[in-house]
Amino acid sequence: MTRPTETLRPSMRARRKDDMNRPGMMQRGLRIGLATAALTLAATGAALAHSEGGGVTVAVEGTPSWSLSPVYHILAAHFPVALWMTAYLFILIRSFSDSEFAVRLQKAIWPLAALGTIAGFVTYGLGLTIYPWSAITESPLGRNHIMLATWTLSYWTVMSVLGYRFRRHLYDGAQRWITFTLATIGAMAITITGTLGGSLTGTPSLVTKSLGWIGWNVYMTFYLPTWMLVVYGVGAALLIVIGVAGRRRLA
Amino acid sequence: MRIGYLAFSVAIFAGLLVLGWVTHGTGIVKDDPERNIVIPDELTSELQVKAAYDGTRIWFRYRWPVDRPSLFNDVLVYQDGEWEERGGEALGPNPEFLTEDRVAMMIDDGSVPLFGRYGGYITIGDGLTTFTGTPETEEERTKYLPSTRTDPDDFETVKPESDLETLRAAGQFIDLWQWRSSRSNPIGLGDDGYVAEERGGDEGAGPYTTNWDAATNQPKYMFNPEVAGAAALSIDAVIAGDVGFNDTYYLSAETAAPFDPDYAWKNGDAIPRRYLRPTSGSRGDVAQPKAARWRNGFWDVTLVRDMDTGNPLDDKIFRDGGSYDLAFAVFRNASTMRWHYVTLPVSLGLEQPAQMVAERIEPGTEPGWTQPWTEITTFYPGQITWGRLTDPRQHPGADRIAQRVPVAYRHSEEQLALYSVQLEFGREIKRQWIWTLIASLGLIVGMGININLLMRRREDAK
Repeated sequence: MTRPTETLRPSMRARRKDDMNRPGMMQRGLRIGLATAALTLAATGAALAHSEGGGVTVAVEGTPSWSLSPVYHILAAHFPVALWMTAYLFILIRSFSDSEFAVRLQKAIWPLAALGTIAGFVTYGLGLTIYPWSAITESPLGRNHIMLATWTLSYWTVMSVLGYRFRRHLYDGAQRWITFTLATIGAMAITITGTLGGSLTGTPSLVTKSLGWIGWNVYMTFYLPTWMLVVYGVGAALLIVIGVAGRRRLA
Repeated sequence: MRIGYLAFSVAIFAGLLVLGWVTHGTGIVKDDPERNIVIPDELTSELQVKAAYDGTRIWFRYRWPVDRPSLFNDVLVYQDGEWEERGGEALGPNPEFLTEDRVAMMIDDGSVPLFGRYGGYITIGDGLTTFTGTPETEEERTKYLPSTRTDPDDFETVKPESDLETLRAAGQFIDLWQWRSSRSNPIGLGDDGYVAEERGGDEGAGPYTTNWDAATNQPKYMFNPEVAGAAALSIDAVIAGDVGFNDTYYLSAETAAPFDPDYAWKNGDAIPRRYLRPTSGSRGDVAQPKAARWRNGFWDVTLVRDMDTGNPLDDKIFRDGGSYDLAFAVFRNASTMRWHYVTLPVSLGLEQPAQMVAERIEPGTEPGWTQPWTEITTFYPGQITWGRLTDPRQHPGADRIAQRVPVAYRHSEEQLALYSVQLEFGREIKRQWIWTLIASLGLIVGMGININLLMRRREDAK
């Protein structure tokens, strides 16, 4: 465990020293990862034990033999959601506060985001084993869930990389508002992905309805018109160009 | 300065997300008559139903919204010495309003597997008439029950007659009541049919016949001028909706006269293509207490039948205390074929707990209709086939169907209607969705690279 008395030294020198202590951090990260994996395995085992013997098992012609029950995906999905949303909560607190408490929380942000991303990849993989690809991509709700899950996972992968590379500097000056804005978009993506998963299992929430009120009926496939695809491509290229140009100009 | 770049980049990113949100779902779904695709303006609507019985007869009363009633189904129009057929079947709404309004009710007593859970979906096989890709055939390829085929997904694989008779004797057929605004309503009748190896009429004569003499290539009947005031209507008046209930607008024994080829016919004269007649046999079991009228934006229709018609191989027999499954279809806005609105199955109890409870009234009396309406949502069903629904490679819920989970447990009517529309453009939407996935991933990666390049560490700034 991190000891605040050691890690919260105010001077820059101490911080640099802390940064240099990477092997120790890696070990701690490894331990956290192993503990998370063990918990996931234990919970999966429990779910497996409880899912047996209920209802009527029906063999459906055409169902792939490798199909896994949705229960594992649903179980695993709690981990990235909890980890990412906790990371977002800490970002929120840190963005609005320079207190010692907020700074302590800040140190947990990137490990939370990174663990969430790892758990997210596991969850994503488990999700893809539930239905045949041909079937789930015939369902508008299934397509939407895959789309949002892909966005969320890729987005928080980016956030994890940012967190790892820039750590406390994400909250330096006005940069904190960039971090806050990006994290808020990420939190929204998590929320929508989760609610779509709930809708897919037959339990739509108020978020599902709310999305309808602001222009997206989740039972309609989310797709962009062709001209908008082009705009997105141009936009992606433009963002990279701005990044490169800005870095060169300000170097 | 660096913050300026970052803020500008985030603004572009967020702006593109908002723009994507605003423009999503556009550019693909539109009418495509070449593929028999016409999307109704409204995907869902409402139907109100009540039922009552007196131990001998059973009544059903239906009420549904229709902006403009369609009193004609198809007509014969005189043009330059020829009689041309107009109206009837059309892709989507008939712009001339020459397609009648209808209500249909399917009834089962629990004999047809899965009907009570999936309703009319079980009757939709592959390649039915008007489905995209189905070639036009002389004979209509109607709905059918899966049990009547050796391969339920293949319309052509009808079981041998002896097997069909066995199924029929076991009750594996759906009773089908119909009311038609043009072809049965004017003379106060309904139409009694079935769905088994096909959708057909019961034994006997239906309420209409075709007013056409193929030998002479002219109508058999025209209006009796002494009754109607003229031998024909004006097609312009018919299309404009100027012909109403107070006019003589249908042909029957009371209103028709044998066709007179020597009459001074003029271009635009119109005669109904159907001649209405009394029903007979089992097909005539379903009638109306009186002809229905459209009022204040609603059709209000009542059908009545003997609870036990004495035709158990044609009709589902209603018994006091019994429970039944119903599914309805409403045809409105001058649409027919698959451009109708259907309902999910609804349970009916004769003084039994059910979604709709038929009220018992004194024998020999007429219903007072004092009980509340049962409100049922109707929806556009599109081209979803039973074969697709039960195929786990095409439908993620196929295993739920195998487990007999009712459709209403997992899907709302609105959801089903939206899915139906999207399935009609399935290939195009899926392709666009994949491109959207790729483009949006590119945007996220672009944003990630941008931020990584522009973010600074404090020590970097020194």
